[in-house]
Amino acid sequence: METLKSIVEVTWFIILVAVGVAALVGYLYSHFKFYARTWFFPAVLAVFPALALAVFGGLLGGYTFQLWLYFLLAEAAIAAFFRLVVKGRHTVPYLMLAPAFVGLALLLVYPFVFEVYLSFHDLKLTTIMMWKNTGTLPFVGITQYIKVFTTSPLSEVTFWALLLRTLVWTFTNVFFHVVGGFILALMLNNHIKFKGAYRTLLVIPWAMPQVVAVLAMRGEFHAQYGFVNIFLVKLVHLLPFLASLGVGPVQWVSDYPLITCTLINIWLVIPFMMVVILGGLQSISSSYYDAADIDGASYFQKLRYITLPLVRPVMMPAVTLGTVWTFNNINVIYLVTGQSGGTEQADILVSALYKAAFTYNRYSYSAAFAIIVFAMLFFFSVFYLKSFDAAKDER
Amino acid sequence: MKKEMSAAAKKKRLQHLLIHAGLILVSAAFVYPLLRIFSVSLRPGDKLFSMDLSIIPAGATLISYSKLLKDTMFLHWLWNSLLITLATSFIGVSLASTAAYSFSRFRFPGKKAGMILLLSSQMIPAGMLILPLFLMIMKLKLMNTYLGMIIAYSVSSLPFSIWILKGYYDTIPRSLEEAALVDGTSQVGAFWRIILPLSTPALSIAFLFNFTTAWNEYLVARVVLFSAKQYTWTLGLFELQGQFITQWGMFAAGSMLVTIPVLCVFLYSSKWLISGLTLGSVKG
Amino acid sequence: MATVQFKHIVKKFGDNLVLNGVDVDIKDHEFVVIVGPSGCGKTTLLRMLAGLEEVTDGEIFIDNLLVNELHPSKREIAMVFQDYALYPHMTVEENMNFALRLRKMPKAEIGARVTEAANILQLNKFLKRMPKQLSGGQRQRVAIGRAIVRKPKVFLFDEPLSNLDAKLREEMRVEIAKLYQRLNATIIYVTHDQVEAMTLAGRIVIMNHGIVQQVGSPIEVYRKPCNLFVAGFIGSPTMNFLTGRLSSADGVSVFSNESVTLPIPAFVLPQKEALEGREVVLGVRPDDVLVEHPGGEKLSCKMDGVLEVCELLGHRENLYLKVSGQRLLATVEAFFNRSPGSAVSLCFNYQNMHVFDKATGQRISE
Repeated sequence: METLKSIVEVTWFIILVAVGVAALVGYLYSHFKFYARTWFFPAVLAVFPALALAVFGGLLGGYTFQLWLYFLLAEAAIAAFFRLVVKGRHTVPYLMLAPAFVGLALLLVYPFVFEVYLSFHDLKLTTIMMWKNTGTLPFVGITQYIKVFTTSPLSEVTFWALLLRTLVWTFTNVFFHVVGGFILALMLNNHIKFKGAYRTLLVIPWAMPQVVAVLAMRGEFHAQYGFVNIFLVKLVHLLPFLASLGVGPVQWVSDYPLITCTLINIWLVIPFMMVVILGGLQSISSSYYDAADIDGASYFQKLRYITLPLVRPVMMPAVTLGTVWTFNNINVIYLVTGQSGGTEQADILVSALYKAAFTYNRYSYSAAFAIIVFAMLFFFSVFYLKSFDAAKDER
Repeated sequence: MKKEMSAAAKKKRLQHLLIHAGLILVSAAFVYPLLRIFSVSLRPGDKLFSMDLSIIPAGATLISYSKLLKDTMFLHWLWNSLLITLATSFIGVSLASTAAYSFSRFRFPGKKAGMILLLSSQMIPAGMLILPLFLMIMKLKLMNTYLGMIIAYSVSSLPFSIWILKGYYDTIPRSLEEAALVDGTSQVGAFWRIILPLSTPALSIAFLFNFTTAWNEYLVARVVLFSAKQYTWTLGLFELQGQFITQWGMFAAGSMLVTIPVLCVFLYSSKWLISGLTLGSVKG
Repeated sequence: MATVQFKHIVKKFGDNLVLNGVDVDIKDHEFVVIVGPSGCGKTTLLRMLAGLEEVTDGEIFIDNLLVNELHPSKREIAMVFQDYALYPHMTVEENMNFALRLRKMPKAEIGARVTEAANILQLNKFLKRMPKQLSGGQRQRVAIGRAIVRKPKVFLFDEPLSNLDAKLREEMRVEIAKLYQRLNATIIYVTHDQVEAMTLAGRIVIMNHGIVQQVGSPIEVYRKPCNLFVAGFIGSPTMNFLTGRLSSADGVSVFSNESVTLPIPAFVLPQKEALEGREVVLGVRPDDVLVEHPGGEKLSCKMDGVLEVCELLGHRENLYLKVSGQRLLATVEAFFNRSPGSAVSLCFNYQNMHVFDKATGQRISE
């Protein structure tokens, strides 16, 4: 019975979305089709603001004259835009794009703008009830931005320490992803038996649901019952001299949380890099290697002068993507250290941001924090893309 | 001459042997955690914590599985996840399919701006939008509901889906649509009758991508859902694992149940998924 | 069936002028081939007729109906595409009746038309197959069949044979010729292959740089090319061109350049065109370069040349000759038993000699 109810609920929602999309398309179509008619302005101004008031007024809870006036002004502007600028051209592409872009505007662009709004106001546990009831918040200017640099987002770590840790985390991870992925791809790119089987086994960490993979690995880093320490114990037992070098079981999660997270994340992402690089290696025509063999090149010369330059175009986008992913990786760190009482020693910028919002309920603070992180990432991307384009031009 | 040849062949054999050894070692290391989950899920209740490293433990039993299904709401969590995920994937792929067609086939003012918006949206840290979405869902009084989750998820994979589908549409020759136009369809009709049926592989990949993203999502679910009845399986598993001391067996059993189907689907589709990834990124 | 008129068609892609004022009238039941080198705008013209490209300027009429703004589906035309454009997810039968299904025609009628077309094209065995399972020639036939079942006013063919190998192309050429006799329809056929144009066309439209160069029956454009472009484009192997200057001696005009001096009789070049000192291009087809010929009426005087290369084609032989500095190609009956380097004598056939003005490229001979 309950199952049925949930199906009905979700189906009803999908139908609602479909109706919304149809309404949107119909609304735009009428503007595309009839923009030149004499009755266009009077008709759209009479019909659409009234409809909008009926629908949105109901949703927002008030059918005021003011709201209708807003709709009227908006509709006048839209109608004029269609009459003077669009003039019924490109109907099909715009209509086909509209649903997706309205969705993106509502759930991507609007939240982004809302985040900016939040960062200049003060939303926290003590003001959230006020916001819920009245929809207004105290304006605080750039105070939140100053706070980001002067106070800790969590309980002790500062912004700068987090930034440094993030850079170390990103660099170490991407370095090992690429090197590990490259070595594995080179090994797989031979005419050997069971190649497909190896490939399948090697992508398993990537294929597992991340939550399962990370939580399971977290268990395996348990000081007593995790296999990592069990292995270490057995190893020391086997080769006693290692003990004198300081090798032995450690409290991974509590003493070395960042190293634990890094090891887990390397294990998780190497398969992705391996697959991408393998794809690049396989696309290199073997005639290059034949020609190099005839020229008498050694294995490492071939690697240096043929493989690396030819794999680069495939690798660079993947590395960029991997860098951004690693920089933004909340999942691994939060899942390993996110339980109540978890350590802060592994937090990077984005996970601190998540915790600041949802563990410490400092909403506006975390909004300002997010804007700063976004700005950093944005400038990195622009700079990176520029240099990438320049490199492309050189070739 | 002959002697040299055999020396070269010997060298090659040794090389292959080394490669096999390396690959076996790494494969073992990569797969071992999964085998451990399997092994733990089979342990009898009194031996959940042991230093045993064998894969099939002594006294293997399915008791953890039956306890998981009987004592927890695991099936209910799976059902929640499935509903939310199917709905978001359906909405996401539908919206993406037409938008991608616009980008693939038409020239119109704002096309480049639209593409840049799609690409740059990938730069937005995922964690950044959780807060405003959370507040919006709160304001809409959709906390702890399916709808809130579907709304939060529905567009997250949209840019990537549009990108994959556009890449695929680009490979379909235009003359097919032109033939359809001459045969008597409208432009939209040509899309509906020719392009969509031909794009089923790409549509399934986009669907799969949407599906896995939403299926494995944890961070949004963590803040939107708060009663155990509404949990998705990711929240449920985290809960089980959080209470480490008592529930490890059930956690492992649940992990196995979730992982096996996902793994099969992924391995089956990985080839296309990767080609989609590289296509999108190289062309961008 | 219908007439088609192009009236001063202009097409621009941005600043790029693709068609510059094309005027062609196509009569009912006519097989017109539009031919020209790639990039001459011939395919664009066809696609504009089909409604797949917008018309920048000018008017297109089908059956005296202005179709400029008409959607492709309303024009009652059928088109065979270069890559066939068979819908890969439909069987041959579904491909062929797609248009009829869209028009909600009664099932019986659809079946009858498809069967009829399949009979004509010998496709009966393949109706249930997918396009992927067919060979190139079979796909081509399905594409044609898809056009036939529509019973359109005009058939458009866009380089339909260019994706086939040489042997199959010849076969399909004959098939299309037969089909035309049977359907007796208005057909507009675009190709870059002048052999196809010569063999299929009732009338040929030769285009270059977005301009119609000449319109005429195959024999007209072969015998009387109106300018240098047409002369060079039609006919295989290509016509020999000799650039030089006219002068007159004893009332007879004489053509001369560094290598060749040749009197031009009045029946080739009228007196009024034979201006003293005019720069002209002489055109002689390889068939009209006669080697070791005993001589006779309406032939030029003998010239001495050197044989450079022989190409045996089977029944014919291409001889690459050199008369002092002037290179010439002659085509003669097979087994011209001379080794390269040997001296030969040759003369031109005045009857098929063409004279063009060098500056304008226009024909000035009779």
